[in-house]
Amino acid sequence: MVRAALGQRGASLGRGPRVGADYVPAVTVVAGSMVSLLPIVSSTGWWPDWGLLMLVAWRLLRADAWPAWWAAPLGFANDLITGNPIGLSIALWSAIMIAMDILDRRTMWRDYWIEWAIAALFIGLAELAQWRVAAVLGAAMPLSISAGPAIIIATLCFPVAAFLAARLDRWRLGR
Amino acid sequence: MAASAGPRPGWSRRAQYSLFFSFLAVVAGLVIGLILLILSLAAPKTYATVRGAALDITAPITGALSEVTTTITGLTSGAGNYWNAARQNAELKRQRAALMRRMVEARAILEENQQLKAALQLRERSSKAVAAGRVVGSSFESPRRFAVISVGTSDGVAIGMPVRSPEGLIGRVIESGMLASRVLLVTDRANIVPARILKGGLPVISTGRGDGTIDVRPLEVGKNPFKPGDIIVTSGTGGLYPPLVPIGKVIRLDDDGAIAVPIADPSRVSFAIVEPPYEPTALAVAARPDGEEP
Repeated sequence: MVRAALGQRGASLGRGPRVGADYVPAVTVVAGSMVSLLPIVSSTGWWPDWGLLMLVAWRLLRADAWPAWWAAPLGFANDLITGNPIGLSIALWSAIMIAMDILDRRTMWRDYWIEWAIAALFIGLAELAQWRVAAVLGAAMPLSISAGPAIIIATLCFPVAAFLAARLDRWRLGR
Repeated sequence: MAASAGPRPGWSRRAQYSLFFSFLAVVAGLVIGLILLILSLAAPKTYATVRGAALDITAPITGALSEVTTTITGLTSGAGNYWNAARQNAELKRQRAALMRRMVEARAILEENQQLKAALQLRERSSKAVAAGRVVGSSFESPRRFAVISVGTSDGVAIGMPVRSPEGLIGRVIESGMLASRVLLVTDRANIVPARILKGGLPVISTGRGDGTIDVRPLEVGKNPFKPGDIIVTSGTGGLYPPLVPIGKVIRLDDDGAIAVPIADPSRVSFAIVEPPYEPTALAVAARPDGEEP
């Protein structure tokens, strides 16, 4: 008798990934973008872009969460949902995918701190790009009241996204 | 911990090719994204239809969620009102008496004003609202200050129309779908409103600061004309915004201007009223992509 048969009924042994497991990461990124649809009317724009946080968290967790080029359509969805200038997230998210591929080849090992630092780097670059684009569109603001606090808040929120991605990964793979 | 399961396809030629094509595709995605971004920076009107459609799909979700939160906050604040009803009642009675006195004064001023206007034969423009909706959401993750209101082109809203609440000016429409529109708030850095100080009528320029406050500067260089507590109203110059709509209240002075807080806080206003442009010809100017007011 195999040992699995001795376990409790409903134990996760011998169960494969859930239906649609390949699409779960992408769906959670879109769900992250949709956080901006919450009826919060804020006078400042310092809250994190959850779509970006989920994208970085999934990509740091797994290289094969989705084919790299999915970043472009996901970015397009993010632009449409959050109201960014169209093309901003498409370009940024594709660039993050390429940068992560290079990082994966160069880094020998990673721990939580390094992952957090990489995420902070991507979040910082993304917020600065958004800030720069806003300036080009006629809304030039000092860093200290726009992108600065946004970078700090988003970096501090990243562990939540990383935790969610790790939990969802276990769930979708049926472990 | 080792690096994440990276792109190591092994000896399979098929896996190697698929990885390579995926890499080409993401580079193509980057290039397409950059082209689209440059297009939307150079000619924001290009995507008006797509963005309007996206607003139509997303705004009802925000609207429904907003109903739920309004109900819940209504329940809690309703309970809170009962908590110290007696003290509130006394306070309100005192305020009512004060307001009654002010109202009589205002009535007298109004009549005097009408006589003076009749003497000057000033034309009174009737401001008729195009549509009234609720503020359902905002861009809380972007450095730009946008709000989403629950009325769109099917209600007659067009890009460039001014949006106000009974309290004061909210902003102007910059994108509109069938059912919802996006409003550039007066607190956005790109929203420049010709204004004046209510007391004294000195012309000033109001610009958003992006953090929920407004920067006001006098048109003429010289002594700082602001005092804390000054009310800033629209001047009607440029013809887009109707005159005498309150914009903000000065809270702090800086070297040659002042910082004001908006009187119509978009998170508190009950209704957003979309009005036609004060001078109809101003709409074409207001729809210009760079968002500058004449």
